[in-house]
Amino acid sequence: MAKFEAGMEAMADMYVFETTTLLEQLDQILMKTESESSFGEEEINEIFRTMHTIKGSSAMMGLDNMSKLAHAVEDMFYIIREDHPEINSMETLYDLVFTASDLMKAEIELIQEDDYSPTDFSGQIARIEEFAAVLKNGEKAAAKQPEAAKPAAAAAKPSVSGTSVKVTFEENCKMENLRALLVINRIKEICSALEYTPSDIEDNSDTADIIIKNGFDIVFSPAQGQTDDSVINAIKDCPNVKNCEISGKGQGTPAAADGNSTAVRIYFEDDCKMENLRALLVVNRVREVCESVSYEPSDIEDNSDTAKYIIENGFILRFKSDKPDMVLRVIEDAPSVKEYEVISRPSDTKSENIPENNTAPAETPKAAAPVQKAAPAAPQPQTDGRPTPQPAGKAPSGGAKQSLISVNLNKLDTLLDLVGEIVITEAMVTSSPDLKGLRLDNFQKSARQLRKLNSELQDTVMSIRMVPLSGAFSKMTRIVRDMKVKLGKDVDLVFEGEETEVDKSVIDQLNDPLMHMVRNSMDHGIEDSAEDRINAGKPAKGKITLSAYNSSGEVIIVVADDGQGIDPSKVLAKAEKNGILTKPASEYSEKEILNMIMLPGFSTNEQVTEYSGRGVGMDVVRKNIEKIGGTVSVDSKKGQGTSFIIKIPLSLSIVDGMEVSVGESIFTIPINAIRESFKAKPEQLVKDTDGKEMVMIRGECFPLIRLYDIYDLKPNTEDLYEGIVILAEGDGKCACLFADELIGEQQVVVKPFSPLLNNYNVKQHGMAGCSILGDGSITIILDVNNIISDF
Amino acid sequence: MEANNTANKNCTAEDCEVLFFTIDGTIYGIEIKYVNEIIGIEQITVVPKIPEHIKGVINIRGKVVPVISVRKRFGIEEIPYDDRTCIIVLEFDSGEQVGIIVDRVREVIVVNHNEISRTPDAKNVNSNHYIKSIVNLESGIRLLLDCEKLVRDS
Repeated sequence: MAKFEAGMEAMADMYVFETTTLLEQLDQILMKTESESSFGEEEINEIFRTMHTIKGSSAMMGLDNMSKLAHAVEDMFYIIREDHPEINSMETLYDLVFTASDLMKAEIELIQEDDYSPTDFSGQIARIEEFAAVLKNGEKAAAKQPEAAKPAAAAAKPSVSGTSVKVTFEENCKMENLRALLVINRIKEICSALEYTPSDIEDNSDTADIIIKNGFDIVFSPAQGQTDDSVINAIKDCPNVKNCEISGKGQGTPAAADGNSTAVRIYFEDDCKMENLRALLVVNRVREVCESVSYEPSDIEDNSDTAKYIIENGFILRFKSDKPDMVLRVIEDAPSVKEYEVISRPSDTKSENIPENNTAPAETPKAAAPVQKAAPAAPQPQTDGRPTPQPAGKAPSGGAKQSLISVNLNKLDTLLDLVGEIVITEAMVTSSPDLKGLRLDNFQKSARQLRKLNSELQDTVMSIRMVPLSGAFSKMTRIVRDMKVKLGKDVDLVFEGEETEVDKSVIDQLNDPLMHMVRNSMDHGIEDSAEDRINAGKPAKGKITLSAYNSSGEVIIVVADDGQGIDPSKVLAKAEKNGILTKPASEYSEKEILNMIMLPGFSTNEQVTEYSGRGVGMDVVRKNIEKIGGTVSVDSKKGQGTSFIIKIPLSLSIVDGMEVSVGESIFTIPINAIRESFKAKPEQLVKDTDGKEMVMIRGECFPLIRLYDIYDLKPNTEDLYEGIVILAEGDGKCACLFADELIGEQQVVVKPFSPLLNNYNVKQHGMAGCSILGDGSITIILDVNNIISDF
Repeated sequence: MEANNTANKNCTAEDCEVLFFTIDGTIYGIEIKYVNEIIGIEQITVVPKIPEHIKGVINIRGKVVPVISVRKRFGIEEIPYDDRTCIIVLEFDSGEQVGIIVDRVREVIVVNHNEISRTPDAKNVNSNHYIKSIVNLESGIRLLLDCEKLVRDS
């Protein structure tokens, strides 16, 4: 993690998590609007809010570049929201926002590294600003210059009686007149009357100079429910505004007299540092849940001296909301907030709040303090005169309490490890050799109870770690969208069963393989042109389906496209050329040929494209999936499409297994791979011309795999009728495994082989890992898939 | 403090502690910084399909650790384990643990850095690079083994 100021490291994790979530949400909104090709009011607001929050929290973390980029996007959406300009080039807009989102995501990744240095986003910011200006100007043209007739020097006396302010802009920010217009547009809604000088800013670019020289004068009276302060804050919030000073006070409505707003004084924890930025965080959170928010001091974002002011006088926040209690809870939950007091309440809710006040003892000492004493710090007089201190802490009513928490994954890993150890220890105790031959009714009863509880505990811990696949799937929307644009292919991405859950550690390993497969389908799978598709009798629009479902302890994920399919003869030719064939070409089955595309250094595409074709992709897919104990296979019909089928175990760490012995060794066969086990009878044994053995079960013949044979072990018995035959299923096939003896069934915790052993490809030889049994001995867990496919 | 420790244990320039053991009558040493513990011979679970010198895995307090027979590694005939046979459990920087089976463990000696000399740079001598350096003690010349090379594939 990059170095943050003292006291900030703890928040850095939270920041990374929050911002990543926000950016993902942003992508989803964009994707949705893009497919509907229109922006709803709500979406625009959502994007605006998202950017605003990122801006605020980035500023708090001291990440100026992030904050500025978010600011630029926010500004652009501000124009879209307020002016509803005709957007001629939707593509450019989406491009700009997507790129910004990508840049920010990349930056978040970087932040988590130790040697972090901020990336320069100025290029992207400039592009966004340029586009925003175009949007703005487009609107200007559409306005048909209604006020063009007014002379430039219409510095007439303002007819509106209200508060007048002088606004100055940052030096060299350029186009001051348009920036001034932005200010006007922003406060238009919250003012009942509004006049400004110079008045022809919209059409006359010369006014920019006047504004630079004289400042920009606004006379306004706040609309109902607004205060002078909230308007001034809105002005100050506008981009590039340097200062806004009151030049004449009118009959503006003082804040507290405003019947609808609630004012709260917030105190932060002692020594929490940077109180102003913490206050900003609170403001951002409150903004998410209610409409108009104003605060004092108002320049917390830029002026670090306000921190001192906040320490001494507290931070005053006014907001308007239907559910003040909910907002108060948001404030209460905000980080570093020590306490808060309500200094004024909406008049209509007052009556019901007072009794509440009487029954609940004031929890915060500050709440009981007379408000007037602290109030002078705030410019607005408390005309209300009746402060109603509100007990902080437990909000009495309304709104469901947040019932989700985020937990560090390491803690969950440790928990799972511990549960695993408990499972082993339980087996050690209950099957202790000391107990052999004893009749212990009570002990057995308690042991059964313990076993039941343990398995419940284990299930719960597992379920905590389960995450739906929808997150991983929806990331693909973005990839498909980008490639659609770049490759000019029209493709629908369809999800099925995205609510299927898998272990968190599995999800993390799934992202890359999924991405590769979707890219492959987009690039190689779907035909290059719509005509090709129509000629093949398919709809012009391609389709990629991501589906997931549970099947006997495994999760199966299928990435299917309805494209041109894989030509086995081409694959074979290519494999021959690359020299990766291990037997004569004619001996390969179609399935084997198809699966060759996942060998290292294979790619059927002649040309290397940006997305795929280097022949590393599918190899990586296979490796990644195998790392989490899964398998990938390919199924393809020429002309009809290709499916990649991924099978992954539901859980990586605890397996229900059947223990069998072969000589000195004990192997564990996962129960979900076992169909049945039995003692073979002589009439069941069949031999082929080479003497290879098969076992006949109810009219079906299965190959016989003698475990001692494939593992070069010394068995206690080679006699098929003395040992035990286990019919196991894997890799889509069934085979009979032959072992000496069945020992029993037990849950085991999978321990991966040490890297030293992994060097020798033990996995390829059908060994998935090992585990420790109750008596301390080690068992090797078999991977039936690999054994059968190898045989 | 920690940096100081590692510097002390590094056998190239500074003094270091060396654990000596015998294989087939010859005394070899390994740097003590690799040694996690020394245990008696335990029941070894055979893992199929791995090279012969890796005897299998053992259970050390819930950890599954592979063990290597140094005799087999050096191409010396193996002898039955007796009560002097030991497993020295090595731990590498990556946290990976590997046990090595030796005939018997001798002692730990602090070796002065000027007693250590490099192995000759020749093709036919020490070609598998198991020997890291040569220690010239009063009691005789000893070979210091390279733990990494001993364990990893050459």
